[in-house]
Amino acid sequence: MKNNARHLMLSALAMLSLAGCGKPPEPSASTPTPASSPGSSPAAAAAAPAEEKKLNIFCWSEYIPQDVIDAFTKETGIQVSVENYASNEEMLAKLLAGGGSYDLIQPSEYAIEGLIAENLLIPIDHALIPNIKNIAPEFLNMSFDPGNKYTVPYMAGTVGIVVNTDLVKDEITSFNDVFQDKYKKNIVVLDDAREIVTWAMLSQGIPVNEVSDANLEKVKPTVAKWVQLVKVYDSDSPKTALLNGDVALGVVWGGEGALLLNADKKFKWVMPKEGTHLFIDSLAIPKIAKHPTNAQQFMNFILRPDISVKMSDAFPYLNPNAAARPLLTKEQQENPASFPSAEEIAKMQTFKDIGGQATKVDELVTSLKAQ
Amino acid sequence: MAGITAATADNLGASAYKRRPSWVAWLVFAPLAAWLILFVIVPTLTLVALSFGEQRGLGTVEFTFTLENYQRAFNWTWLKVFWTSIWYALLTTGICMVIGYPVAYYIGRSPENMRNMLLTLVMIPFWTSFLIRTYAWITILSKEGLINSFLVAARIVPEPITILYTPFAAVLGLVYNYLPFMILPIYTSVERLDNAMIEAAYDLGARPVRAFSQIIIPLTSPGIVAGALLVFVPSIAMFAITNLMGGGDPPTIGEVIYKQFTSGRAQPFGAALGTLLLLIFIITLWIGRRRSEE
Repeated sequence: MKNNARHLMLSALAMLSLAGCGKPPEPSASTPTPASSPGSSPAAAAAAPAEEKKLNIFCWSEYIPQDVIDAFTKETGIQVSVENYASNEEMLAKLLAGGGSYDLIQPSEYAIEGLIAENLLIPIDHALIPNIKNIAPEFLNMSFDPGNKYTVPYMAGTVGIVVNTDLVKDEITSFNDVFQDKYKKNIVVLDDAREIVTWAMLSQGIPVNEVSDANLEKVKPTVAKWVQLVKVYDSDSPKTALLNGDVALGVVWGGEGALLLNADKKFKWVMPKEGTHLFIDSLAIPKIAKHPTNAQQFMNFILRPDISVKMSDAFPYLNPNAAARPLLTKEQQENPASFPSAEEIAKMQTFKDIGGQATKVDELVTSLKAQ
Repeated sequence: MAGITAATADNLGASAYKRRPSWVAWLVFAPLAAWLILFVIVPTLTLVALSFGEQRGLGTVEFTFTLENYQRAFNWTWLKVFWTSIWYALLTTGICMVIGYPVAYYIGRSPENMRNMLLTLVMIPFWTSFLIRTYAWITILSKEGLINSFLVAARIVPEPITILYTPFAAVLGLVYNYLPFMILPIYTSVERLDNAMIEAAYDLGARPVRAFSQIIIPLTSPGIVAGALLVFVPSIAMFAITNLMGGGDPPTIGEVIYKQFTSGRAQPFGAALGTLLLLIFIITLWIGRRRSEE
């Protein structure tokens, strides 16, 4: 038997070493200097200036329209490959595991904070990204990246309430109006523990980033009551349950709300009067990037007004590009789920990284849901 | 083939059973062994090792050999989540058995030229991704869907009834998806059923019920056990269907584990829950094996 085991191990080792040889050694280029090309393939060396014409994007699913990517390739000749993720944590885990080779990532504000703190991003060169001037000032110089040293805003958005006015006749103005006994099992919410806890905190006037144990204890009864009223938890496509008439009320992403408003006039968008959560997804270049110049070229490209319009057409979130807004249709500009008013935005709060408290938030919501 | 025996000639003395396979045999076996090691053993060991770690910062895991994750797992919250999933899986297995057995029996006893066609019909839905089929169910079951439109138009109900986003819908989705896994193994058993045995039962005076319960069921029990395992085990961990059709309420263990690895930021705890789930599988397989040996 011992002999068998040894054979097994040897053949496994052989396989492993073969697998290891499969990957050609890659140049460890992290700066956009021409000196980094000799190590790479001859084709790349032949292709003029610094980098081979490639760009690996690691981004949210359903966020960068294919026609934007195609237009970029057409203009620059840079071949783009895209890999998707469904949450910031998924992206961080892959990045930290060191598996992929990504040139561009699309983190949200709290993830950027962590990435900068851990020194995992390459500073951007504003000389290469002049189009950043198109971004409205309220989306620049944010607390998670002062001076935009590492990131450019991609899209922003918010969370709000959608009301099916055919089924709900009462005036809905707040989270507390949504979570009433008479709407029991008639509500869809995002399947996201931190979001749910945030709404409960807002309804009690607690700032959204003060996720202390004491505050979690304070909102627990509210969350307990709310989860009993919810029928559907869905972060990917909360609009489905509303569109099919299975629920009358929803607390959903602004982009989803905008699509519902476009689909049917019976849907109404409400910004909760307690305030809500504003998210800003940005583009950043991880330290492991092999094509940082191409990445910055892409950043500059999507900040162009004509390209930004394509992004809004496909995914009607809050477009931070002030130069692109006049190019949108009147209907797009007036969609309250896409573009909240300035005073509504002033009331919104962005998420900060809450570290290990995320685990407690998840346990709180799961335990109440499981009851 | 001659090479295999020739190289082991020195061992032949003791007993033919103790023959050692030669390097050729190992070469043939190596891809399978490598596959098992790379895709079964290594990931499982990684999972178990991860369950004794602690998560730091953005998502790195430090191996501290703590038992904390398991202590946390034995808490009412998570046990209830486990129970929901086990309950869904038991229901699914039971319903699949009740529906699947007659179907498999009918296919197995039908003329040989019919069998392949009937089996193909069972398999046809598998040509489409299960997610697409699940979305199709959503359009069938929703309040403005096919069933409700029909019920309201036919004045059977005054207003649309709630079918989607209930535990009923979740189990329906599971049954629909896993039914073929019940039918196929039972069919294999039924096909091999010896007619002489059933005839003998009748000749000895057994009525149909008795012939079925004492002859046919025991003879096809290997298929029943295999089918039950094939349905029960994947149903426990499935969360895409239960989330889409059940609305994610109550939470199931697959979903909860997934969240530990993402927004819950507790990969080691997720790994501990995963390891416990693995133990449930092992126990199930062990019970199944004992059953089929009996």
